[in-house]
Amino acid sequence: MIRFEQVGKRYSNGHVGLHELSFQVEAGEFLFITGHSGAGKSTLLRLLLAMERPTSGRVLLAGQDLSTITTAEIPFLRRQIGVVFQNHQLLFDRSVFDNVALPLRIQGLSRDEIARRVEAALARVSLRDRARDFPNDLSTGQQQRVGIARAIVHEPALLLADEPTGNLDPRLAAEIMNVFEDINALGTTVLVASHDLALIARMRHRMLTLQRGRLIGDGAAA
Amino acid sequence: MKPRRQPNLKAAEHRGATRRTQPAAPRRARRGPSLMSLLQGWLDAHNASLRDSVGRLLGQPFGSFFTCLVMGVALCLPMGLALLLDNVERLSGTWQHAARISVFLELSVSDAEGQALRDDIAAMPLVEQAEWISRERALREFQAVSGLAEALRELPDNPLPGSVLVTPASVDKAELEGLRQRLAELPGVELAQLDLQWVERLGAILALADRFLFGVTVLLVLTLLLVIGNTIRLHIENRRKEIEVIKLVGGTDGYVRRPFLYLGALYGLGAGLLAWLVLAFGLAWLDAAVVRLAGLYDSDFSLVGVPVADGVYLVLGAALLGYIGAWLAVARHLRELAPR
Repeated sequence: MIRFEQVGKRYSNGHVGLHELSFQVEAGEFLFITGHSGAGKSTLLRLLLAMERPTSGRVLLAGQDLSTITTAEIPFLRRQIGVVFQNHQLLFDRSVFDNVALPLRIQGLSRDEIARRVEAALARVSLRDRARDFPNDLSTGQQQRVGIARAIVHEPALLLADEPTGNLDPRLAAEIMNVFEDINALGTTVLVASHDLALIARMRHRMLTLQRGRLIGDGAAA
Repeated sequence: MKPRRQPNLKAAEHRGATRRTQPAAPRRARRGPSLMSLLQGWLDAHNASLRDSVGRLLGQPFGSFFTCLVMGVALCLPMGLALLLDNVERLSGTWQHAARISVFLELSVSDAEGQALRDDIAAMPLVEQAEWISRERALREFQAVSGLAEALRELPDNPLPGSVLVTPASVDKAELEGLRQRLAELPGVELAQLDLQWVERLGAILALADRFLFGVTVLLVLTLLLVIGNTIRLHIENRRKEIEVIKLVGGTDGYVRRPFLYLGALYGLGAGLLAWLVLAFGLAWLDAAVVRLAGLYDSDFSLVGVPVADGVYLVLGAALLGYIGAWLAVARHLRELAPR
């Protein structure tokens, strides 16, 4: 599903985000990307979301080269990907329901269909009874679960998560990871960027280790 | 709803399913939404954008009202000038009677011949009305207005000729002159008199006013676009985070643009309605004074308010201007709003 071929990313200020990175991810895999701050984890995810373009090499997603994708095609690419952020990027002036419904409204689904899917997504993250609340009424862990519900509500084939447990205590972090495992069990490819090695070790999935933009490890978490 | 080339992740997911290192539970079959569902969704999205925009306007009632008022006042100026010009043109139409041609007959022409000549003149093209003034009537009127009644009574004969007062159907200079010449050539006519100078002056003033109005309209349309553009820019700044999130989850530029276009059109609509209201009240307020002034000149002239059709055009035009202003503002700022 995902293929990085000698991918390099150099920013305009000279900083090298990625250096000749090559790897492949099969559909349905659960993959951790780890490394210290500045290792290139976020850059890798940004390349997959077409928020950045590689300065060398190719990023292939389902066979399409994302370095040549047109601006008009980017929204349609992103509609097939779910994204979870460390700061969950919720809209605080909208209810939980409206936050989760956003990707579906963008895709132009009908009200009934949106209601059905949002309910299902909130049920998956155990927040079905909080649909009418606003994000400020929720705990940090619940806000992150709302972010996850929004990322999966349109049933994406690929789920990207950038430090999704960064602000959470270990118990909540484990809870969030369990949600990701459930989603992966339904066939969604999941990529999680995290520097929480203890948590990753417990999950026993494939792990890519980055250091200063280079791939220094690819294998199952020990 | 437009078909676009895009990576088919779902297909890739199924291809990869056979190569999975860990077996996954079978995924629920996904079917794409039906055409009716997409159409309903499109309508729902527009409905939601419209409601969102109305909500944002009503959420800041004072700010929204004053923005509309500024735009409305700007709209009032060209529209008010246009109405004033319409009224002046209407007034010039009533002055058409003052552009009458006086056809003085020879003293030898009898009343009966004069009446017959009036009938011939009334049947001529370009003549709206012809009035016979006999020698006796002319003398009576002259005595009444000149203050020389006593002196005129001393005269052995009536020195005034009979005349026909011709009201032309047009105030076009060339047509009037042509009509005057034809009237002068009629048998029994001594003199056909016309004062064209004021018609020329009024025409020149109206042409200048038309040009001035066009210039003012262009300037105020630009002002409106700037006002609406700046207002929408502030809305965009306030919603920057929301726009970034929308773009991250697959919102197209069109989706991002839509609520702002509704907002711009609504601002324009409000401004148009306010402008209509201000003009209607303004003209009604002025009308009393105009009627009094016109009465002093023996005229029944009064101002015409904003015709309903013009009012509707004003409101729709303002909404269109708001829409265009919003479009320009969003197009300018959309590129800066890439998710970070």
